Amino acid sequence: MSRKFLIFTVMSLGLLVLGFGCKQKEQGPGKDEDSQSKRRIAVVISTLNNPWFVVLGDTAKARAEELGYEATIFDSQNDTAKESDHFDNIIAAGYAAILFNPTDADASIANVKKAKEAGIPAFCIDREINSNDLAATQVLSDNYAGCVDLGQYFVKKMNQKGNYVELLGILGDNNTWNRSKGFHSVVDNYPDLKMVAQQCAEFDRTKAMEVLESIMQANPDINAVFCGNDAMAMGAYQALAAAGKTHKVMVFGFDGAKDVIDSIRDGRIVATGMQFPKRMAQMGAEQADEYIKGKRDFPQKVPVAVELVTQENIAKYTAYGRESEQ
Amino acid sequence: MKKVCKYSLSAAILVFVLSQSVYFEDLKVVREQRRREAFNAAEYAGDLWLNELPSVLDEAVDVKELIELFNTNMGQAIERYGKTPGVSRVYAYLLKGEGTILSIDRDGLKVSVKEPQTNPDVVIETGSYIPGNAVRDASGLIDVSKFSDTMKFNEIGSEINKIIVRDVIRPLPDKKPTVGGTIKFFGATQVAQDAAEENLLQLVRVVPIRLELE
Repeated sequence: MSRKFLIFTVMSLGLLVLGFGCKQKEQGPGKDEDSQSKRRIAVVISTLNNPWFVVLGDTAKARAEELGYEATIFDSQNDTAKESDHFDNIIAAGYAAILFNPTDADASIANVKKAKEAGIPAFCIDREINSNDLAATQVLSDNYAGCVDLGQYFVKKMNQKGNYVELLGILGDNNTWNRSKGFHSVVDNYPDLKMVAQQCAEFDRTKAMEVLESIMQANPDINAVFCGNDAMAMGAYQALAAAGKTHKVMVFGFDGAKDVIDSIRDGRIVATGMQFPKRMAQMGAEQADEYIKGKRDFPQKVPVAVELVTQENIAKYTAYGRESEQ
Repeated sequence: MKKVCKYSLSAAILVFVLSQSVYFEDLKVVREQRRREAFNAAEYAGDLWLNELPSVLDEAVDVKELIELFNTNMGQAIERYGKTPGVSRVYAYLLKGEGTILSIDRDGLKVSVKEPQTNPDVVIETGSYIPGNAVRDASGLIDVSKFSDTMKFNEIGSEINKIIVRDVIRPLPDKKPTVGGTIKFFGATQVAQDAAEENLLQLVRVVPIRLELE
């Protein structure tokens, strides 16, 4: 009997130690707040070759610094292999948190997973990964609803008829499809609105210009171009300007970038969907700070509403946000 | 005494076996889990429409109270009744009301819900499609965080809208709505927090969930 009791006691103690050890590991990231390695925040951005993402990254960095962290920006150049290298370096350097703008909703999952396994939380900003249990939280533009509004305005401006072109962003990015599907959930209900071409221009200004030039050779009679972001809208406008067609083709963008906001004010671009990169970046940095201080109960996905910006309401907006928020 | 022991032991064994073979789970939780595991937006929306939406209609606020709050205290309207899945200046509201049909056109049914019934207060959408996510968001039944990607969340909203067109809007002409007739409705609306300041509240647009004509 005493031997059995001894075995039971030893096993219980063993289980207790194991349980305690696991709990310690779970709480790890919040404990070493004062150590130097835990005061650094990495900001990983999909590309810095687009001013909108530069604003996203710079704002995240600035807010993290205001909160007392040392912050470094990493540019993934829209390349998941580069993004993976950044994560390896961030893990090796022992950063406290990652403010993460993913390059690809599926391919970026592995990077968030390895950071989590290393005890470094990732906070997705603007773009999501297709997972709801790996990132600490994901603050995302509500692209679908934004493009429903944009689609309704498009229908109104086109008087429910005409030929149009759609330029898509990066095909692996959920934002591309959320925008396209939101737009089509409205526009496809009007049979006299005909999409004569739908092509990918990878959210890139130069590619958009080249793609639209090529499309216009086969389809000279278009009335509008719907672009999945503002960089492509500016590229499309350049192609139309070169072809002398700016007066008869309406351009619609999505983002709220400076050059498009200026162009709406000047009457060159018809409308865009205002995302709020500054707001999302600030929220990400603040959530990372809260996490480091011990908070854990974040909603997994937080959609941030997109607002329709047109020539009628442009006075309320400035680049990357509302006039009242500046 | 021996028999008592025997029966007690048998009962204990029976209770033990039953307790090991039967377990109870919240039906709502199980249904939610099954819907997510085998995701099909149309089925998800259909199940929600039939089995869960009716119970939240009890929470619908009277449209007269809502219009009054929109115009006098938007903050209170948002706090008491507004719903949004994330961060937004636009909130969704589940509402109910009764009024007189003042006109019927392509835009929908214009209805007066206040006395004197001369000007329309709401327009009940009866077009061939419903844009947006008013019903999905006003119901408060779907948490975006439960989905691995937000497209699924959006597809559900779109499928709910298709059900509304199929089951609520298309059968409406058979009920023969007439100008001057009375209509009772449950529905949802989305209103921006600064709508009153920008004079966007002349007509509250209602996406119908249930319509009854008298």
